[in-house]
Amino acid sequence: MRQAKLISVWVGGALLLAGAVGILESGASDVFLEATRPDFQKISLGIAGIQNGGGPDWLGGRIEEVLKKDVKRSLVFDLVDLPSLGIATSDIGNGTGNGSKAVFKQVAEKGVSVLVWGKAALKEAQKDADVNMEGFVYDSGSDEVVGGKRYAGSPSVVRLMAHRFVDELVFRYTGEPGIARTKIAYVAQQGAARELFVMDYDGYDARQLTADGFLNLMPQWSPDRRFIVFTSYRDRHTQNIDMIELATGKRWTLISLGGLNITPALSPDGNFLAFASSHEGNSELYRLDTRTKAIQRLTVNPSGDLSPSWSPNGRDLVFVSDRGGGPQLFLMGSDGTNVRRLTFEGDYNAAPAWSPRGNWIAYVCRTQKEYKLCVISPDGQKRMQLTTGPGVDDSPSWSPDGRHLVFSSTADGKSHIYMIDADGKDIERLTFQGTHNSAPSWSPAS
Amino acid sequence: MNKTMCTYAVALVASMALIGLSGCSKKSVQSGGDSQSTQGTAKGGGAGGYPDTGVQSGGGGLRGLDKNPSEERVGSGTMLAKVDPSSNAGRQLDEIRAEQAASAAAGLRDVFFAYDSWTISEEGRQALSRDAEWIKSNPNVSLKVEGHCDERGTSAYNLVLGEKRAKAARNYLVELGVGANRLSVVSYGKERPTCSEHAESCYQQNRRGHIVVKSGK
Repeated sequence: MRQAKLISVWVGGALLLAGAVGILESGASDVFLEATRPDFQKISLGIAGIQNGGGPDWLGGRIEEVLKKDVKRSLVFDLVDLPSLGIATSDIGNGTGNGSKAVFKQVAEKGVSVLVWGKAALKEAQKDADVNMEGFVYDSGSDEVVGGKRYAGSPSVVRLMAHRFVDELVFRYTGEPGIARTKIAYVAQQGAARELFVMDYDGYDARQLTADGFLNLMPQWSPDRRFIVFTSYRDRHTQNIDMIELATGKRWTLISLGGLNITPALSPDGNFLAFASSHEGNSELYRLDTRTKAIQRLTVNPSGDLSPSWSPNGRDLVFVSDRGGGPQLFLMGSDGTNVRRLTFEGDYNAAPAWSPRGNWIAYVCRTQKEYKLCVISPDGQKRMQLTTGPGVDDSPSWSPDGRHLVFSSTADGKSHIYMIDADGKDIERLTFQGTHNSAPSWSPAS
Repeated sequence: MNKTMCTYAVALVASMALIGLSGCSKKSVQSGGDSQSTQGTAKGGGAGGYPDTGVQSGGGGLRGLDKNPSEERVGSGTMLAKVDPSSNAGRQLDEIRAEQAASAAAGLRDVFFAYDSWTISEEGRQALSRDAEWIKSNPNVSLKVEGHCDERGTSAYNLVLGEKRAKAARNYLVELGVGANRLSVVSYGKERPTCSEHAESCYQQNRRGHIVVKSGK
């Protein structure tokens, strides 16, 4: 009897501890954590060019340009300009001869940690044109060519080859999969309609996903990257929550309760869909068990509750409620228990997104009549404003490595999609076409 | 089957991708005339009809750097199905135009709202009173009350705000004697603005309840 009691207490304690750790670190490895610290020393990396192995001159340059941007965006590497360090790389060759050794020596002496070079060829003689790309990596710490990659594919996947190579570099030096092959789902104006699109994380290769001719809103990825859930007005008069399979275009209606059915969000394990619905009067939060199809109501309140975002361990939700007047962020257990208010600064805080590491919640804060991005720690102790200036910022969504956010903003007039470092530095605009791009959602890493 | 059960079964029916359930009215089944696939013949979905959304080990994983790398074939990463943009857009546009024409012919007026507000002003009451007269004298027409917002604020919260505006307008029409069953409510938030300038003159046109004569069903 006594023993049993002890065990149950111990189990309770362990669970509690696991919960706390999960919120703070989301079970990440040491390497992973180190690379996210603000004082993390970036690894210096130089690119010695992509040689022409046969084919058009633009090919190597195009690959090198993608490599450089990916390396910069990784925030793991510090891209160094080799010529400005006085390092000539024309003798790099295939990495084995005396010329290569001389280059490696200079690289090591100048304190550059990693040297990358490669070769690319385009064979057009064949029926289907084929691109071959090789990339190699010298590590000055171990003074050796640690390895390389050889890719082949059609000319349409040249950028993907470079993305893949940089993800391999990030993986090699951090143990993380990298973000260069991730995607962003978003909403874009098409004539009078707003449809769903998916593009590469750097804004290239946009593809249309829906063609309903009316409104589709708020795409969110499934954890396995195979599906997008979103709010659909297929017949214009009612709102449903639909799911579409990217590979096939196959579509399912998950929620059609009547009234508002908005802000769907799949749990990190994919077993629950949290969403807001007003079918019982005002907008309340619910969760659908995707296995049993049971729907459970999570909030009971005469005010509007919406925009649930899951903690990475799936135990908690952050959401928006206007139960205090204007919209504010609240936290609760994912079963609807233990509701507590998170934001107290300002009279408009909305559109929360819980970071994949769990340590921040990004959201839209109204400050001086403008709608800007803020982040707050889940304990409410730390708060930062990330963007400033005019324009409406909306729909922040985290990169799977937690180092960036993507969001929409009208800062340049029309609504477009931007990427920003999680510390508020380096805003990069991703969309340039069209009259309206919004509601970006960053895919999980593969 | 009681009413709550029925409501939930509506969700179930929809999620079962049109497999009929007896006991509820036929209205619960989603529109079937759409050429795009609603046929959820998913594998592994069981009675629910859609596939698992759980985490699966991705096939596109990294293989690591290699001193003697073998060739990796890089395919298109997305594998996105092709959509035909022309399929539904034309039909939707035709129906929207028909609704606009019918609403304009009826002379229905919009009701406008203050920033962040869903309270109906005296001016709004007058507009709705005239609308109610027309609606009551045209008893066979079904109407939709749309709630709209200006571009300020988040997309999601504006959908909630838009619904509050649409319901405020609907409720006032019901107070004036219009049958509630003739009025459906939908919020478009800030997603279907009538103008797009970043100025109060445009914002105030977009903060509106808009009454539409429904075409067709």
